Amino acid sequence: MLEPSGERSPSARIGTSVAVTVRERDIECTVAERSELASGVVSLVVRDASGHGLPAWTPGAHVDLLLTPTLARQYSLCGDPADTGSWRIAVLREPASRGGSSFVHDQLHPGATVHVRGPRNHFPLVNSRHYLFIAGGIGITPLLPMVAAAAREGADWQLLYGGRTRRSMAFVEELQAYGDAVRIWPQDEKGLLDLAAALGEPRDDLLVYCCGPEALLGAVEGACQSWPAQSLHVERFAPKPQPEAAEAEMATFEVVLQRSGLTLAVAPDESILEVCEDAGVSVLCSCEEGICGTCRTDVLEGTPDHRDSVLSGSERAAGDVMMVCVSRSLTPRLVLDL
Amino acid sequence: MSASAASDRRYPRDCWYVAATSDEVGPHLISRRVLDDELALYRRQDGSVVALQDRCPHRGYPLSQGRLADDRVVCGYHGWEFDGSGACVRVPSQAHVPFGACVASFPVREEPPFVWVWTGATARAGRRSPPEVSWLRNDRYPRWRGSIEIDANFMLLHDNILDLTHLPFVYPEIAPLPLAETPPPLEVEVTESSVSYHRTFPASCLAKWQSSATGIPPDAICEQDESGQFVSPALWVGGWSFRPPGVDAASALRLFMAYAFTPQGPSRTRVVWHGARDFATADDAAGHILERLFSDVFRRRKALLEAVERHWRAGPTWREANVTADAAALRARKIVAAMCDEEQGM
Repeated sequence: MLEPSGERSPSARIGTSVAVTVRERDIECTVAERSELASGVVSLVVRDASGHGLPAWTPGAHVDLLLTPTLARQYSLCGDPADTGSWRIAVLREPASRGGSSFVHDQLHPGATVHVRGPRNHFPLVNSRHYLFIAGGIGITPLLPMVAAAAREGADWQLLYGGRTRRSMAFVEELQAYGDAVRIWPQDEKGLLDLAAALGEPRDDLLVYCCGPEALLGAVEGACQSWPAQSLHVERFAPKPQPEAAEAEMATFEVVLQRSGLTLAVAPDESILEVCEDAGVSVLCSCEEGICGTCRTDVLEGTPDHRDSVLSGSERAAGDVMMVCVSRSLTPRLVLDL
Repeated sequence: MSASAASDRRYPRDCWYVAATSDEVGPHLISRRVLDDELALYRRQDGSVVALQDRCPHRGYPLSQGRLADDRVVCGYHGWEFDGSGACVRVPSQAHVPFGACVASFPVREEPPFVWVWTGATARAGRRSPPEVSWLRNDRYPRWRGSIEIDANFMLLHDNILDLTHLPFVYPEIAPLPLAETPPPLEVEVTESSVSYHRTFPASCLAKWQSSATGIPPDAICEQDESGQFVSPALWVGGWSFRPPGVDAASALRLFMAYAFTPQGPSRTRVVWHGARDFATADDAAGHILERLFSDVFRRRKALLEAVERHWRAGPTWREANVTADAAALRARKIVAAMCDEEQGM
């Protein structure tokens, strides 16, 4: 894997400076196994088609499945990080699917080829002695390897796992091996998750990890408002609902790409990402809707107008990084490390 | 974001670092510094390697100054004995071992030629694996190797090696000729934990060392490929290939390099390099040329980076100016910073 390779595609050159293209590694994978885990949930195990190992990952990471040339979707890795030969994902068929989950359910059978980018982790398991994991439905996927790591490393942890019905909840059997640390909470049997009881009083020695539907994330964010700033870690599957735009927002603004030595104007109907790409500056990106975190860019000057669902409250306040696919500017000029 | 590479003096602890090479570790004690820890290393009779904190818990004498007796370390001061797990198993002056008398034992994984140690909490050693480099296991390729200690932060080494546009200015006589004119486009491919890059040089004559080592005539017009990878904070690997006229990519002459960077504190780094070639495998002269070249380049790299380090430490920090050629190095810095943040719960 770590050997100099032979032929590669040539890339464009800009002027006489060193032209650089930056992209994420794209791996051709083969679906090795597929199984129905719960009602509407399939799990897939994919392997690198070339037989080389797969990149390392840590609990909380996701990959992009490039389903068609125009359809990329993010799925959390839910297998064992020590397995460098294969990756496991689990996909819920969304009734209102924009094409991703139905493609996976309908097209990805054993033997199928799928291109994968990543893994990336915007939901890393930060070191702590105490964890509370809260999963809603298919949001269990990134938490599975976290639970395994916490258990293996001897941390004190609990998992609260809610779902509509027991039948709709994946990995229940696998999780029962952990005994009392796991509470399975089907809504039709037990009602909504009792977040107040699970969270208790704010603590500074407990990290809370939550993944699930927006209603759950919103409720947990609300319940954790009086907790220390770094306590709560959430991962979203869809863009966070945005409040109405503030008045100070700039309709048009200027971006200065420091490394490339370019100054570009961003019109109201353009994203920073589009403007950069039109100018020939290679920016890593994937989802283009502010959830995957691939286009995270350092801000050197100016104040970003954050519209993504990735950055934490303190990262937003610091204002030194932004997602250029959706976020804009509160100042007439932004200087970016591109 | 840090203002410069050297200003962020952190290093990830949840990482495997090269503590020694396999041939350095035998049935005797050696001492090695890794990050902020002094280690005593030795090989047990079953071949496994032990890495213990190099400080007797009694009066702090370095255990590496003691001796081995049947896989146990005997301290050279009062004769306390420790097993490979770091537990004290005998105190000569009394019948009982005091409660809690032990030294830290570091997880070790040997992937010849490197002995890797995990510097994070032992329980987390399973989170990552030491990198695997397939050619390092291949005995058919002749090798060259060396090591050096450089008084500079380890990220200055990564910065240096991830951008070769400095070659024509620092080592003009060895730089590939096209690099001095217009550096060819660089393709950077990233994953969350690694950065790979690749460039193909336009056909040109070779630098003198290149033609001497490969045996390609100095006037032959030859294509060259350069590639490299930031594999982890502890390892860079790279390759160089030469395609003389009429030779396709599959038959190119290839050099392989692996540089292990082990921080020994914020301002000191030990570098161990291994190189291999898949051509002129019976030619000792090619081996001598490469051996000398790499030693010389690392000596000059040391002088260069120590000057940067001294200057950085003497003055205030500044906001660095970066250019597109820094893309790979900047990405590597972000990976390292993110690893440190994650460990610190940020």
